[in-house]
Amino acid sequence: MTATISTTSVTPIRRRRRSARLSPLLVAFVLVPFAVESVWVFWPALQGFWFSLTRWDGMSPPAFVGTDNYVELAGDATFRGALVNTVIWLVLFGGLSVLGGFGMALVLQKERRGVGFYRAALFTPVVFSLVVTALVWRVFYQPDGVADTILRAVGLESLIRPWLADPQTALYAVILPALWRQIGYVMVLFLAGLKAIDPALHEAARMDGANSWQRLRHVTIPQLKGVNAVVLSVIVIDSLRSFDIVWSLTRGGPYHSSELLSTYMYSTAFQSLRLGYASAIAVVIFVLALAVILGYLVRAFREEA
Amino acid sequence: MSDFDPGRRRFLGHLGLAGLGALGASSFLSACASSASGPAAGNGSGAVTIQSNLSSPQAKAAMEKLIETFNKQGKGTASLNTIASETFRTQLPTYLTSANPPDVYTWYAGSVANDYASRDLLLDVSDVWKSLGDYPQSLRTLSTDASGKQIFVPMNNYWWGFFYRKSNFAKWGVQEPKTWTEFLAVCETLKSKGVPPIGIGLGDTPWVASAWFDYLNIRINGAQFHRELLAGKQRFDDPKVKAVFTRWREALPYFDPKGKAYPFQEATTALLAGKTGMFLIGTFFADAAPKDALGDLDFFRFPVIDPAVPLAEEAPTDGFFASAKTANPTGTKALLSYLASTEAQEAYVKASSGIVLPANPKAKASDSPLVVKGKAMLDEAKELTQFFNRDSSDALQPTADTALTKFIDKPDQIDAILREWQAGAEKVFKG
Repeated sequence: MTATISTTSVTPIRRRRRSARLSPLLVAFVLVPFAVESVWVFWPALQGFWFSLTRWDGMSPPAFVGTDNYVELAGDATFRGALVNTVIWLVLFGGLSVLGGFGMALVLQKERRGVGFYRAALFTPVVFSLVVTALVWRVFYQPDGVADTILRAVGLESLIRPWLADPQTALYAVILPALWRQIGYVMVLFLAGLKAIDPALHEAARMDGANSWQRLRHVTIPQLKGVNAVVLSVIVIDSLRSFDIVWSLTRGGPYHSSELLSTYMYSTAFQSLRLGYASAIAVVIFVLALAVILGYLVRAFREEA
Repeated sequence: MSDFDPGRRRFLGHLGLAGLGALGASSFLSACASSASGPAAGNGSGAVTIQSNLSSPQAKAAMEKLIETFNKQGKGTASLNTIASETFRTQLPTYLTSANPPDVYTWYAGSVANDYASRDLLLDVSDVWKSLGDYPQSLRTLSTDASGKQIFVPMNNYWWGFFYRKSNFAKWGVQEPKTWTEFLAVCETLKSKGVPPIGIGLGDTPWVASAWFDYLNIRINGAQFHRELLAGKQRFDDPKVKAVFTRWREALPYFDPKGKAYPFQEATTALLAGKTGMFLIGTFFADAAPKDALGDLDFFRFPVIDPAVPLAEEAPTDGFFASAKTANPTGTKALLSYLASTEAQEAYVKASSGIVLPANPKAKASDSPLVVKGKAMLDEAKELTQFFNRDSSDALQPTADTALTKFIDKPDQIDAILREWQAGAEKVFKG
């Protein structure tokens, strides 16, 4: 009898102990931000879904139109162009900033004289607001600006064109400043990752006769797995929310040639005052971001399991 | 109030909205909606709030001075809120629909004001107009809504024209053209001298191209057709609209090819430096001109194409309207009456920058030869138009920007461009 009592009473005590660890302060730290977020983030986000089913000019009450906005999106050439541009942006901006950031991190990881200066120099663009960055790059691209002067100096006058006003080059001319900035940021993430690798692993690989390429391929890269997840999330989110640099430099023009989903959403909402339709675009952006990130997370968890 | 300038407005706006992120996007849109009942500066029977988008330093200082003088007069008290233009533009519907709105607003006359009036959001200011008997009929018509009551009080207007440097025209041996043929001949002469004849700045400010569309359309099809087109009562793929572009194409070879890449402020610099011959622009461009160049500036009216079409000029009018929900209509009307007075308008012209014409016919404009000539041109005009976005809406402006910049790049595709324009416009009118 006594024995059974003692066995049954053990588990409740343990449970009680565990729940006692959840101090009211901790609960408050979770619940208060959640309450604030619900009002300022979750509720408006849900409302956004509702607005995407309406026609709304911001003044009259929204009128429910069902899936009309999504049907229109499917047939909207500008939207399709913006979607393609967003994918190009994701691949070029995302891909090149990972490659560039990783390359820079490898070059600058060893402590040498003056390496701090180069790291700081590469990171500097991150410090500036993108709008300021855009102003500087606009001067760079303007007719007879720095870009044209350089081309003329090396005898490539034939390439000169209105970089931001030519539909062939506008998108790429905008990606460049975005990359210029992002590479420094990604570099810092990778530098942190590289620092965290145990030097003994490299030492062992070197003892086994691995050359530097093999060490990179089989030691460094696998060790960076944790950082990769962070970098990928950052890149996808940054690509999909890229707005400021494009808006400051081209506003999605000339005639939608550098339009991204984000700039199209903004101009539809606040210039054309079609807030229902813009909400539908916002929902598409949200779904895309969610799909890419969830897709990656699911894979990452599966690999760990 | 001469600083109507969507470019600058938009620029200020995206400074503020630069952090807009895609993930927060839907929440951002709806946040605007849910703030419909947002805060409005205090009113009641006491102070009248005036919401002003005149945020450029000189204009802001001028407004502050006006409000100070009004408060001293003892006919009421007012307090001024100056808001960045882009924020003002996007928030204006929210202000007007909120439960406790600011009382008076700076804004534009024409269809912009009429649209709000048709939703019963604007205060009937016919009382104020009773004392404005000497205001010209054209301004009264412009300030009257569809139901026949006045909803707007004009402050000043400015004009658009082809600006040039007198010294350069003398150097090149050309004179102001009066007709389209003469205009093209001047272009040809300048081109033969190695000067790009027509300056333009579409880089950051693509809306500048709308002036070309507006003027060609009112010169070829008349102001009436132009207004109907912009109100959605005519189609952009109409052959009459195509005729506008056929004419425009004759002038296209004379446009400064670099103008696509830089904003109108830089096109101004190019004009002043003699790197372009002339520039179709509103007087506000002179804000960016150095004082010593102002005396050398002159302008001519957009050349006549069809003498049978009555002369119309673009003369955007700035002024004030008030919320229908104001808690203090008496105080609001007192303030509006003051702002319409000779005294206030002269004070504004003196304190602010730019070259504007006060709306009150008794108020003295600056007496520079340029302003005298501008006033004469507008007085001679049979009809006045506002500008593309003011005669239609800000919502239709992006469709024009897309169509016109594309046309300048690819004039061969004009049929497709006009079809796209019509489709885009229909979406805007549909909402």
